[in-house]
Amino acid sequence: MNPANYLLLSGVLFTIGTVGVLLRRNAIVVFMSVELMLNAVNLSLVTFSRLKGTLDGQVIAFFVMVVAAAEVVVGLAIIVTIFRTRRSASVDDANLLKY
Amino acid sequence: MLSPYVPIVTMFCLATLFVGASVLFSSRHIGPRRFSRTKAEAYECGIEPTPQGPGTHRFPVKFYLTAMLFIIFDIETIFIYPWAVTFGFLGVFGLVEMVLFIATVFIAYAYVWRRGGLEWD
Amino acid sequence: MISHLASASSTAVAAGDIKLPSISYSALSPILVVFGVACLGVLLEGFLPSRLRPQVQPVVAVLGFAAALGCVVSLAGTHELTAANAVAIDGPALFIEGTLVLFGMVSVLMFAERKADPDGGALVADAASLPGQGTHRLAARNSQTEAYPLMVFAVAGMMLFAAADNLLVMFVALEILSLPLYLLSGLARRRRLLSQEAALKYFLLGAFSSAFFLYGIAMLYGYSGTVSLQGIAVSSGLLGKTDFFLYLGLGLLGIGLLFKIGAVPFHAWTPDVYQGAPTPVTAFMSAATKIAAFGALLRVLYVSFAPTQWDWRPVVWLFAILTMVVGAIVAITQRDVKRLLAYSTIAHSGFILVGVAAATQNGISSSIFYLLAYGFTSLGAFAVVMLVRSGDGEANDLGQWQGLARRSPLLAGTFAFLLFALAGIPLTSGFTGKFVVFSAAIGGNATFLVVVALVTSAIAAFFYVKIVVLMFFQEPRAEGPVVVRGSVLTYAAVGVGIAVTLMLGIYPQPVLDLAREAAQFGFVS
Repeated sequence: MNPANYLLLSGVLFTIGTVGVLLRRNAIVVFMSVELMLNAVNLSLVTFSRLKGTLDGQVIAFFVMVVAAAEVVVGLAIIVTIFRTRRSASVDDANLLKY
Repeated sequence: MLSPYVPIVTMFCLATLFVGASVLFSSRHIGPRRFSRTKAEAYECGIEPTPQGPGTHRFPVKFYLTAMLFIIFDIETIFIYPWAVTFGFLGVFGLVEMVLFIATVFIAYAYVWRRGGLEWD
Repeated sequence: MISHLASASSTAVAAGDIKLPSISYSALSPILVVFGVACLGVLLEGFLPSRLRPQVQPVVAVLGFAAALGCVVSLAGTHELTAANAVAIDGPALFIEGTLVLFGMVSVLMFAERKADPDGGALVADAASLPGQGTHRLAARNSQTEAYPLMVFAVAGMMLFAAADNLLVMFVALEILSLPLYLLSGLARRRRLLSQEAALKYFLLGAFSSAFFLYGIAMLYGYSGTVSLQGIAVSSGLLGKTDFFLYLGLGLLGIGLLFKIGAVPFHAWTPDVYQGAPTPVTAFMSAATKIAAFGALLRVLYVSFAPTQWDWRPVVWLFAILTMVVGAIVAITQRDVKRLLAYSTIAHSGFILVGVAAATQNGISSSIFYLLAYGFTSLGAFAVVMLVRSGDGEANDLGQWQGLARRSPLLAGTFAFLLFALAGIPLTSGFTGKFVVFSAAIGGNATFLVVVALVTSAIAAFFYVKIVVLMFFQEPRAEGPVVVRGSVLTYAAVGVGIAVTLMLGIYPQPVLDLAREAAQFGFVS
């Protein structure tokens, strides 16, 4: 299969993630969309690794996974705290800081 | 080129549609519906379901805590696999680096253990 | 495909061509020391009894920063790549590392302030405590001492961010500096809801921007087959400069970096987070995150994209103009001190981008000098904000600052001086900083940019002077704020801010020379 297709798929996934971040209301879903973006990047990295014949891309993908896990932990902690306070994980409800 | 397979694919599609439609559509619209409290509960095998929904004032964080700790320590092993594959070539250098890495993870582990992150209740 | 990859990796191993990287531990010592101190802080959190932690943690952090500063000084003049060319220890990197460590020390003083708030400290006793629940009152004298290791981790990540010579290391460093900051933003003792909201917004937007940064890395890797900054420079010289992936990669990478800097249009998080975060954390972010992010931006643009500078310079011009204009104009309408200072940092980011756009050696030296000068002024200004309080929390509404000079002329005078420095009045570090940055930009044929910068400086000066007028020439309100007596720590932070601001205004030559020497050889390449 043509490797360019994987790049296209990765681009599509990244776009879906971006749109998800911009449109969804629930903080958890927004956060999942960010994770989708990171995984789309991983797909690109692995494809480029195959195209270029170097292993760097795969190594980077490993690091991205670990960093994403760390981000999940920090993010969930923050979202859980705000949920306990507000009984809602909607990003629209978090609107005290403005102007 | 693929012509012999076209009827087969068509049949598959029809079959999928039929099964999907009968399961999703007809059972919802034809079958009887009886709700009970038990049915409305989330399925969690063996243990009491987590309280959920509006109006419940207690919010058990311990599931989240356990999951988060699991993820963070679980994912660290990702670095050990490539290291193990090339261990023979990396020699003492690789060993020292991995010991440093594991030591760092252990610092985090010691912190979690001392602060009671591993206790369920 | 999988079999192909497996065979590729197995042949690599079979050929035995794994080159063990040589790691120069001495060159990395400042970063390693700070990381070590952060790990030590985590262990202390686990094993020390809770009543000792508030006393021990700040001391450990300050001593660690002092040790790291010693390492930086002993490394002066080093110019090398280490750890498989992943980290560059050169003049700008060492200058930024040293500055970060100093910012860290001053910030620790503000973190450790426990007298200004009647309950002790600007940080909440327990990050999990809810607003109005009362636990933060029950545990009154406590404060979340995890803040110190988190903050030291952030400093370590920033040091690595500015020294990274490889996009992968840069990404990991970006996360090491960001994750603790997300958590720290949510730790304010007062106004818990605002603080938690700031943490949520900072986290979601930060994670969003780092995904763009990462996609940029993937594109540049696809373009050149390497993630080393030199490697990308070499390929962009060889492969021709009209490649789609190159520009896509630079653009996406730029989004991530400009977000951290707080440049318009990626600035939306800045005012919210600066307002909601505990004031010591805001001070720390405004000084330290900025210099680290500019260090990384300078390195990426000046090392990797030196061959394509005629393509990116106009874009940096555009961002510089947008950032200056929006920062200065929106600041005029602000009613909250911390929010106003946040817009002021946005405007200052614009001024520093003017220096970056110069794309010359003076561009590096003037930018890092400006960042140093701005950081100390900003730390001092936020330390003053910590001392003006009403009721439970800080009196952040500008209306409450009315006539403050009647209540406390010394404090109002101090704040006025720092505001003049931010405005760039002569005899303060702000003037020197603006002067060197603008002259570097003129040297780099960016005169138009300097004209815009001068106009926006005048606009910005208007709102700084407005606050001074408010404090000195208006009648205080009846329900005005009190200026609390803090401990010696906050006064020390204010004092350092004032001293450095004044010193760099009157006699900037030694530090200017230091910045010039640091930038002399540019980045390792």
